[in-house]
Amino acid sequence: MNKDKISSQEIIDLVATKASVSKRAAEEFLKVMIATIEDALLAGDVVKIKNFGTFKLQWNESRKSVNVQTGEDILIEGYHKVSFTPDSSLKELVNEPFAHLESVQLDGTVEPKVENVDEDIPEPFRIFTEQASEIKNLISEINALSVNTKQEEAKEEIEEEPETDIEDEDDLLPIEEDLEIEDREPESVINDEEKEENDQIEERIIEDYEFEQTEKENADYFEIKDEETTIEPISIVETESELVSVSVPEINSKPVVAKVKPLKRKSRRKSARVILILLLILFSATSLYVLYTPATNVGDKAIENLKITYNIIKDNFSVTDMLNEVTSWVTPAPKQLPKIETVVIPKDSIVSDLLSAEQPNDSLQILFDTPRVYPEFIASERIMKGSRLARMSQRYYGSSDFWVYIYEANMDRFNDPDQIPSGALIRIPKLDPRLIDASNPRCINKAKELHDLYVKKPVIQ
Amino acid sequence: MGDLGGFIIMNHKELIAAMATKMNAPKSVVEKLLETTIATCTELLADEKTIGFQSFGNFEVRKKEERLSVHPSTQIRTLIPPKLVVNFKQSNILKDKLKELSS
Repeated sequence: MNKDKISSQEIIDLVATKASVSKRAAEEFLKVMIATIEDALLAGDVVKIKNFGTFKLQWNESRKSVNVQTGEDILIEGYHKVSFTPDSSLKELVNEPFAHLESVQLDGTVEPKVENVDEDIPEPFRIFTEQASEIKNLISEINALSVNTKQEEAKEEIEEEPETDIEDEDDLLPIEEDLEIEDREPESVINDEEKEENDQIEERIIEDYEFEQTEKENADYFEIKDEETTIEPISIVETESELVSVSVPEINSKPVVAKVKPLKRKSRRKSARVILILLLILFSATSLYVLYTPATNVGDKAIENLKITYNIIKDNFSVTDMLNEVTSWVTPAPKQLPKIETVVIPKDSIVSDLLSAEQPNDSLQILFDTPRVYPEFIASERIMKGSRLARMSQRYYGSSDFWVYIYEANMDRFNDPDQIPSGALIRIPKLDPRLIDASNPRCINKAKELHDLYVKKPVIQ
Repeated sequence: MGDLGGFIIMNHKELIAAMATKMNAPKSVVEKLLETTIATCTELLADEKTIGFQSFGNFEVRKKEERLSVHPSTQIRTLIPPKLVVNFKQSNILKDKLKELSS
């Protein structure tokens, strides 16, 4: 705390220069001012000065006390005291260095400030990574099963799937089961960079495959396609994959489309896992395709790979197996139909929304996580008495919260941000504007997180 | 003069008026001077300086340390951050004058 005392004479000088009046006039004015306030107070008045505060006379009752040295009881007589209540504007101005601090509710031993940060940012990511790993497990299971193509296992699995979906996200409607899976897919892909290339390759194969299929079956499935023509390539690809699953001569020969649909569902049950994989892969691949606009040319080698995977997919789809299945599941289940159709349309928009929302956040998170280096400095300031990093931050970055970055840039020389010796030279680092976006609560949160890190609060119990 | 909580209030305008009559100066001049004075004092206080008016008292900035408060009924513990407040301490001269008042 600074104990520089300014005498009334200095005030007079300052006022005289500022108001461009003579010192005598200023002195007289000050005297009169104090005399007037005093008089008013002595008369029992309350004196209020705009933008400054309120003077008030306070009566302190007489009270008993004990003489510390002798232990005798003494009576302190009642007396008047001038109390001064600063105006809110003055309060704020004086408290400016601590203005960024907020009262914190302590819940047990944990500070909610820290909790909030945890909940706000990493929570969704945690969910996504969990979901991504779940999907991966699911896919590996499905892969293992599709090789065996055991009917019973398939049934069991299908029953289990909706349950796990609902557990994951209770608030989503059951109709959106498929949708949920798609939702999570992009995240898993993002996490798993290696998968991208494979996905893209597979996507190409399937697209090729589709072409063949659609050419054959265009006539039969025209109606179904019509329903979904409004949708972008992604969903078409998806419906195609469904078609693939049913691409059996017997079914094609059936003239009525309505009958084909339930069959589709049935066969889908059996090969649901296979279809699911395909859907997931297709979706992630196409979304990635849209996002990253792949410039990667598929070389000769890739085409060879494509052929191999193409064969594998074909094998998985073993048509005869499917037929057996279809015949064994005679009774149609029309109730399930709307699920398939209704789901298709929203998928695109939601997935793309999710991705677009995810992408900037991700980059921001990466920005937060990468250790900051400060190669460039926009300015340097010498610490004076009363200087505050928060004020500098306010001046250079537009918000006092970002003082932590200034401190970080100078951390090698100062151990405690609260005790920087005056006269020290502080370098103001050049920062990524995304990091100090005062309008972005994530930036503020990040700064506060760092603040908590650097300002070690005493442990209170 | 208004009345508030048993006290009679002298507000900004009334203070200026009272001073103008004492100084034999127009109100506008007094107002301007008062504003300048207050602005100067505020600035100095914001820089954590202590201002001493002889015969009146000292204005100083004090740091209130952070503290832990417990809500009596909800038992919610709240950490109140440290803050800087303006404190006024009357001078002995003013104190003596006030003593005379009470006696």
